[in-house]
Amino acid sequence: MFELIKKLMLTPSVSGREDKIREVITKEVSPYVDDITVDNLGNLIVRKRGEGKRVMLCAHMDEIGFFVTFITSDGYIKVSPVGGINSLSSAYTEVVSERGVCGVLVPESAKDLPKVEEMYIDIGAKTKKQAESKVELGDFFVARPNVKKLMNQRYIGRPFDDRIACAVLIEALKKVKGSKNDLYFVFSTQEEVGGRGAKAAAYNIAPDIGLAVDVTMTGDKPGSKPMAVKLGGGCTIKIKDSSVISNPQLVKEMKKIAEDKKIKYQSEMLVAGGTDAAPIQIAGKGAKVSAISIPSAYIHSNCEMIDMGDVKEAVRLAVALCEEL
Amino acid sequence: MRELLKKLSLAFGPSGCEEYVRDIIASEIEPYLDGAELIKDHTGNLIYHRPGKGKRLLLNAHMDEVGFMVTEVTDGGLLCFGNVGGMEPLILSSKRVISENGIVGVIGSKAVHLLSAEERDKPTLPRDMRIDIGADTKAEAEALCPVGTYFTFLSDYVEYGNNLIKCKALDDRLGCAILCQIIKDICNEKIDVQHDLYIAFTCREELGYSSAFGVTDRIKPDYAVVVESKAVADVSGVSDDKKVCTLGDGVIVSFADKSTIYDRDLIKYIMDLCKEKDIKYQVNKFISGGNDSAHIQRSGGGTKVAVLSLASRYIHSPSDVIHGEDFENAYKTVLAIVSDKGFEPSCLCTISN
Repeated sequence: MFELIKKLMLTPSVSGREDKIREVITKEVSPYVDDITVDNLGNLIVRKRGEGKRVMLCAHMDEIGFFVTFITSDGYIKVSPVGGINSLSSAYTEVVSERGVCGVLVPESAKDLPKVEEMYIDIGAKTKKQAESKVELGDFFVARPNVKKLMNQRYIGRPFDDRIACAVLIEALKKVKGSKNDLYFVFSTQEEVGGRGAKAAAYNIAPDIGLAVDVTMTGDKPGSKPMAVKLGGGCTIKIKDSSVISNPQLVKEMKKIAEDKKIKYQSEMLVAGGTDAAPIQIAGKGAKVSAISIPSAYIHSNCEMIDMGDVKEAVRLAVALCEEL
Repeated sequence: MRELLKKLSLAFGPSGCEEYVRDIIASEIEPYLDGAELIKDHTGNLIYHRPGKGKRLLLNAHMDEVGFMVTEVTDGGLLCFGNVGGMEPLILSSKRVISENGIVGVIGSKAVHLLSAEERDKPTLPRDMRIDIGADTKAEAEALCPVGTYFTFLSDYVEYGNNLIKCKALDDRLGCAILCQIIKDICNEKIDVQHDLYIAFTCREELGYSSAFGVTDRIKPDYAVVVESKAVADVSGVSDDKKVCTLGDGVIVSFADKSTIYDRDLIKYIMDLCKEKDIKYQVNKFISGGNDSAHIQRSGGGTKVAVLSLASRYIHSPSDVIHGEDFENAYKTVLAIVSDKGFEPSCLCTISN
């Protein structure tokens, strides 16, 4: 599974520019499923047909990054954030563009923590003309993707949010057998700018049950906000976050299935942040929703951290839910 | 097209009160329907539909403008008001305004010699301003402008300088004027339309609760193009990277703004059309603002969307300023899109194993 995770992480695709990651995932899943559709918003919808309930599992393909908005007369590149950029983590980091151009993101003032609009990317160009030969307005940059193993089956890198969940969905759809349900594995677009893709996908699919698969924060690091979720404590079943209240009956069923299959899980009350579960819940005629999350420390930094044990439990839970719900 | 732009921009139409603008548009295009359908729907939209065998294309402009609504009448006969749509508080004081029934007023605030040092450093907020219609008593004011009365800026249409146009509400009457002209062109056989073409004039965009939402869900277009104006800051004192765009540098084809990331294939298609037809266009150089595209993109099952904008200075004021050449270029771009055989997205696919 690590090879798959690495492949997904090393394919930069910010919100609204998901074509490359979509290609990678399409190749990976096509031998295992009945139908593959790409809709108007670029969502990749992968279906395993069944007579039962329509169950939609959704992991987003996009990641946070930067859009090029301006090239200065000296060949420096000004950018705008795409999604919730952490400027503390972004200052003085190596960035790479969709065309493979490398550079460094630098704050104009070294004193205050600046907004992204007060930073620039230096790609080493000496003139505007040189920069324009490599970069166009509307191109995207991301902090350089990377992944490394630490001790205790923990990994750091980016973007685990949300490629780790894409990997979980891919593994789950390969493993799921004999499900009666009509299963939709959705790899959604534009989550980082507000769940824009998932809303359209959910409208078209009109699922009975929607499950977002995403990362969640943990409460076990120095300075963490109080939260019961621990890194390595198992995958989580979402009860609530800032954007959604999960369907209590669904949560109960999910917990029962997890307990029956001896899947290590934690109950998740996320204090800040939301996922695609929210748009899925209110799209069209509405759906029962919750989420499976993978605990992650340092989300939206260049060194997000996950525990591979949690990832394996998330795959087991996703498979079990496909088969048992 | 300028005459119509003038007529539409001077018409009264704050968000939620679009009927006057809608009536002008309807009477303007009715003689040119030539078999096309004109629908007035339950949310106030005016929709032109010319059935065709090609791609289903939705063109969109909003009819409403920013304005004010009376919230309370004071004992002295002054009108407390709230904004309808987003406006910079700094620009409001001493502006002339007019109500739906033609009552003229002036926006007033506390006299400068009464402001504390602290108050002088901060803009006065609308809640501390009043509309003065010259009434002496509460009863007199209430009879003319009861709570709920709409006002808009009272403004003139002026062409000045090097092909510049100034009026209130150019946002988005310029879009309405361009789309009316397209309908006339179709009737006059200037365009051979292959699209299944919808042109929607929508309501309440300035409030963010746009009626474009329902339109898109019902029509389910293959793609949509919004015609709008975009706030620019190309005046002195702003660094080049924050100017957004430049007046007179062509129609703006945005790749993203605060509310929408536009379909990349569709943008490229439009830029290629502009290059082919030698139409001057520019790309936005800062991410700001939003428009009906957000609703169109995310309504129902989702739509591929692009926006064509005109650079507009001092937007949402009595003096929106646009460039006449940009206006022409925006019109030519819409004409090119409608006349073309249609946009073919690259990635829409269904594979069945």
